[in-house]
Amino acid sequence: MNAIVLIARKEGGDLLLSLRGLGWLLTMAVVLSVFGLLLVGNTELSLLDNAQVVYDMGGIVTALGALLAVVVGTDSVAGERERGTLVPLLLTPTSRTSILLGKLGGQAIAWAAMYVLALPYFWAVGSTGQNLIDGAISVALLGSPVVLGFGFLAMGIGARLSSARSSLLTSLIFLLLSASPLLLGPSLRQSSVGRAFDAVNPFSGALNAYDAVIIDSQTIVAQFPHFAFTLVWLGLTLSFAVYSLNRVFK
Amino acid sequence: MTLRTFLLSIALFVASASAWAEPLSVNLSATPGNPASPQMGDHLNFHTIIRNDGPTPVDGLIAWISLVQIDKGKEQPVDLEDWSAHKAVTAPQLAPGTSLETDWPMRLIQAGTYRVVVSAVSRNGPNLTPSTFVDFKVRQKPVVESQRVLPVAVGIPIVLCGLMLWRRRRS
Amino acid sequence: MILEIEHLKVSRGGVPILHDVNLSLGEGEIYGLLGPNGAGKSTTIAAAIGLLDRAGGDVRVMGKDPRTEPKAIHAKLGVLPEQNGFYDWMTATDYLSFFAALYDLHPRERDLRVRLAALGLEASQRQPIGTFSRGMRQRLGLARALIADPKLLILDEPTNGLDPRGRREMHDILIDLSDNHGVGVLLCTHLLDDVERLCKRVGVIVEGRTVAEGSIADLARSYDRLARFRVHLSGTVPQVEVPPSINVISHNGDWCTVDLSPETDPQTAWRELLFMGWPITEIQHESGGIEDLYLSLTEAKAA
Repeated sequence: MNAIVLIARKEGGDLLLSLRGLGWLLTMAVVLSVFGLLLVGNTELSLLDNAQVVYDMGGIVTALGALLAVVVGTDSVAGERERGTLVPLLLTPTSRTSILLGKLGGQAIAWAAMYVLALPYFWAVGSTGQNLIDGAISVALLGSPVVLGFGFLAMGIGARLSSARSSLLTSLIFLLLSASPLLLGPSLRQSSVGRAFDAVNPFSGALNAYDAVIIDSQTIVAQFPHFAFTLVWLGLTLSFAVYSLNRVFK
Repeated sequence: MTLRTFLLSIALFVASASAWAEPLSVNLSATPGNPASPQMGDHLNFHTIIRNDGPTPVDGLIAWISLVQIDKGKEQPVDLEDWSAHKAVTAPQLAPGTSLETDWPMRLIQAGTYRVVVSAVSRNGPNLTPSTFVDFKVRQKPVVESQRVLPVAVGIPIVLCGLMLWRRRRS
Repeated sequence: MILEIEHLKVSRGGVPILHDVNLSLGEGEIYGLLGPNGAGKSTTIAAAIGLLDRAGGDVRVMGKDPRTEPKAIHAKLGVLPEQNGFYDWMTATDYLSFFAALYDLHPRERDLRVRLAALGLEASQRQPIGTFSRGMRQRLGLARALIADPKLLILDEPTNGLDPRGRREMHDILIDLSDNHGVGVLLCTHLLDDVERLCKRVGVIVEGRTVAEGSIADLARSYDRLARFRVHLSGTVPQVEVPPSINVISHNGDWCTVDLSPETDPQTAWRELLFMGWPITEIQHESGGIEDLYLSLTEAKAA
């Protein structure tokens, strides 16, 4: 088994077999459960049609996935450095590139676990089934580059800053800034500043695609421009992570 | 007083009373595109034509929409807060023979049987002029199926907690 | 030479940390790296193993430059850092297997059990590492450092958390590695007893510079540090000339102050005196040896 797969498996084990990692997954599940229960119990939310609900669930899963990716990404470099597990890894004959790719594989495992965890919730809230399967595929296709990009960004920041706490805070600030247009009302998003931000914001790219597929019933193929944009984001953050990890301890 | 004087007085009284009676008429109807059997979350639209049927202009016109639930045992006025953002219309003056047409969009928040009416007053007019009623029934909407959501929302966190306990016991 | 460092300079953030560090370690040798806190010992190690860029000087590890050939060096290098972290959810066997695979080794489980047993971890090999005590973690760290049968072993405070028996066992392992397997060991520690027992040569770093390097005896001689003892006598001393390596300084009642030259083994000296009829009942070490040498070197430089 090559070093990349070995390290990816180790990172996956950190998430799925450690109490800390299971705790993060539990937190994500509780958030999704609260949203589901609100849909059942809250009058206003229960008025939303199923397409809107599936769209909202897709947005929440993507946002939570990005949050988990930031936590896992910070922990995989800055956290390991503080715990003293990074140096033994760097001192093996395995190249830094392989170590990084292994950790990126670990990020992918974390997102996959999050996505699998979310699938029952999609099924539960999408009772009329409007564009449910297409919606789930859109989240996998477009959500993945967005989520992994935030994971890579957090890894790069973790490699450059001296403490895990400051790395996590910085990464969370980036995440919140990216998510901020979602918190603005539609009228603010229509302003020139809002539109400019939307144009460069990976979250907006994914959410616009979800809207088109789930609510407007467009095809997934037609979302290629949004997909290309999220791939650009993924490429930029990957480059940042590679450059930063090669400089760690140096 | 002669009969002639008496009749003239009566005529003058009726004329002045007529002059003081509200010259407005309010016609309310549901617009043709409304769903035939609306349910919770649907949108309805109502249309009013407020006409000045009098000989003189009507100043300071205000017209507003009201909604009441008329289900037996649940009769009550309805706060339009979530139902409609368009609750009133005004006009500084409505010339004689002219009309003011207004649309009243409404989102159906709660199931039940309802009656909508539009009322109008003017600054100097003595009376309130109501429209005719329009009644409509709102069906209960099939909400997110609780029998699907509850097992997932409760079950998945329980499974994860179980996994954590198992790992903790192992370590 | 398995490790050669010449005039090493390292800066971090534009601030010079190491100015002039020199060190040489041969095969089968245990070298002690000493210095006060913040002197630059860990920075020297980091630069030697390629974790830090150097601003000047030369480093050769097994004849290779860690900047250009890190992979070849790491394949035959074992390191036990001072801050030793583990994946707490793994078992000891899984952990060693993971690291062995990173060295492209695939030992059988039986071989891993033997390695763990040699370090006193046989009973714990199936437990998650999260349940290990500090001493057990230290042993596991050493097992990891030895997984690829390295030629150079670098240990930073290796006896941290070990009880006296554990320390002695660690010493025996290191002596065996150097004497019988030709492994070069660079030992960075504050425990001068460990240095005295294990190290053939030492280097002392103060404020980023090597201030002394050589065997303990050579350094003691060159810094004029004799070992001084107080000896309690139960009777009179026979009028016999003592060997030249033993210098009787003074008598004070039942006590006698004696200096031994640096290359003299104290046990041998006492046996000689007893054979000559000295009625020795108690011996107290007053000064000299590695501790005295270290303090004088570091105090002088601090001054």
